[in-house]
Amino acid sequence: MDLTEDDVLEILNLIEKSSFDFLQLQMGDLKLVVSKGGYMGSAPVAVFSDPQPAAGPAVASEPAPKAREAEVKTQAEQPQPKAKAVVRDGTVPINAPMVGTFYITPEPGAPPFVEVGGNIDEDTTVGLIEVMKVFNAIRSGVRGVVEEICVQSGQFVEYGQTIMLVKPRGKG
Amino acid sequence: MAITRVLVANRGEIALRVIKACRALGIESVLAVSAADRESLPAKEADRVVCIGPARAADSYLKVEALIAAALGTGSDAIHPGYGFLAERPELARACEQNKVQFIGPRPESILKMGNKLLAREIVRGYGIPIIPGSEKVHSFQEGLQIAKEIGLPILIKAAAGGGGRGIKIVTENGELQGAFETAAAEARAAFGDETLYIERYIPNARHIEVQVLGDRFGNVIHAGERDCSLQRRHQKVIEEAPAYSISDALREEIRAAGVIIAKNMKYENAGTVEFILDQDQERFYFLEMNTRIQVEHPVTEAITGIDLVQEQIRIANGHALTLSQSQVQFSGHAIECRITAESAKDGFRPCPGQITRWQPSSGADIRVDSHGYAGYTVPPFYDSLLAKLIVRGENRVKTVARMQEALASFVVSGIETTIPFLRLLVCQLDYIKGNVNTKWLEKFLATSSLLELGAE
Repeated sequence: MDLTEDDVLEILNLIEKSSFDFLQLQMGDLKLVVSKGGYMGSAPVAVFSDPQPAAGPAVASEPAPKAREAEVKTQAEQPQPKAKAVVRDGTVPINAPMVGTFYITPEPGAPPFVEVGGNIDEDTTVGLIEVMKVFNAIRSGVRGVVEEICVQSGQFVEYGQTIMLVKPRGKG
Repeated sequence: MAITRVLVANRGEIALRVIKACRALGIESVLAVSAADRESLPAKEADRVVCIGPARAADSYLKVEALIAAALGTGSDAIHPGYGFLAERPELARACEQNKVQFIGPRPESILKMGNKLLAREIVRGYGIPIIPGSEKVHSFQEGLQIAKEIGLPILIKAAAGGGGRGIKIVTENGELQGAFETAAAEARAAFGDETLYIERYIPNARHIEVQVLGDRFGNVIHAGERDCSLQRRHQKVIEEAPAYSISDALREEIRAAGVIIAKNMKYENAGTVEFILDQDQERFYFLEMNTRIQVEHPVTEAITGIDLVQEQIRIANGHALTLSQSQVQFSGHAIECRITAESAKDGFRPCPGQITRWQPSSGADIRVDSHGYAGYTVPPFYDSLLAKLIVRGENRVKTVARMQEALASFVVSGIETTIPFLRLLVCQLDYIKGNVNTKWLEKFLATSSLLELGAE
């Protein structure tokens, strides 16, 4: 026999007056833990020691059609360069301090701020990053010789992406 | 213009939720992450990830320019803001408009209007919806006395500049009025440098009930029922349910209709939530505010209606009409959501970032877990502590509570402390099971209970 919700509430009203801190009710297939005192009983959780489900995937909501993923990845029209911070022995990277579009020249057609093999110091502007029509000068932060420019002018760069590698040179 | 690629401008469980909705609709997702979230679960699930700034939210998730640059740079034609961060900032919606990126949410004017609480009150009053009786600003005791006479006792006096409970006084008898007024003004002056006060009707036995609305570009507006979010700690919701319990069907219909009237009059587009305060003693309700975004607790509505609200948001933004008419929205059963946060309840709800060593979410029929947690994940210290939402559904409320007790008992998280032990205690309280609660109940319960026995896993 299955109790209705009203039956259960009626039972709860009946036991409300009695003195208890904590009890477990089993009514048909309904198991309900009831506490009045704000105290947790000694081992109330043990009542429900159902077979533990195996550690599953982190999210158990809608099943995700996994097959689509590969399809989407190949469809993406732009090449997707893995935007990573580059590490190479003997060089120091200059990383993008913000997300946006990188430019190596101050304006179209103008000579670039820096070229491979060029000498730069800490305050040299090595390029611009445009964020919503605002152009931000990128300061080198390192003294040395430009070893490699890792991104193309006009390319979208992420925060932290390596723009160029510099072979550092000591003072003087 | 059809949306083909969405930039997800959020993190955590809601980012994952949006990515899944995109996938179900055949839309690519690009996730904007801070440097702290590169290894997060949504970053693994998104089709592409773009790092938009350092860990600090002000330099990443709250930076409109960075998000627009990321959307344009990745060829995304829409932005989903999730909740929190920039979701209710008209600046993002407006920047989207200017850059021809579709904002998945309401028009900037709607965000602006409802974001200004005083303006929202005036607008809604104009639609004939009750607002809590009260004044605008009060500058003197004489003025306050007049207003108190008009709206009747009990009243609540609070600092206009206020927040955090300081300068709040409750007056139940005429004799207390002058003293309370003067202390509140002095406290307001000391705390905020501004002694301006508000006076409003105090509702001692209130419930928080909110209506989920959906509107499209063609002026169609429907509701997807209401939720009860009365269990709150420091104005943060802890447990949410749908439908609202222990209220009459007549009152329920009235509240739902009020939500629709507001959204319809505003020509509201996309998903939104109209929040009301229900006075349980008087059986009257008042408009509180409107949230112009998807809400944390949206899954309880999904559980009893079968509507996928996030997919619906994307369809609406894409210019489609609502999928369902009002009469097609069917309600079935009851749903409860518990918010599991990375906090130590026994230690004053201290945040507990750190690495999760064991992660075993509840699973089974009618159980849903929305979470970005996994074994090995390190909860970063920079953001909100929400770790998981546990949602269960049942044919009636008592059965759903029982199922929630079981689901919480089987949810295991080790390595960091979470609020799971606290929630287990909460959902077996007699008052809660009977539905005999109000918006003060949880704070009272916390003040009188011993949480020290709550162990970690």
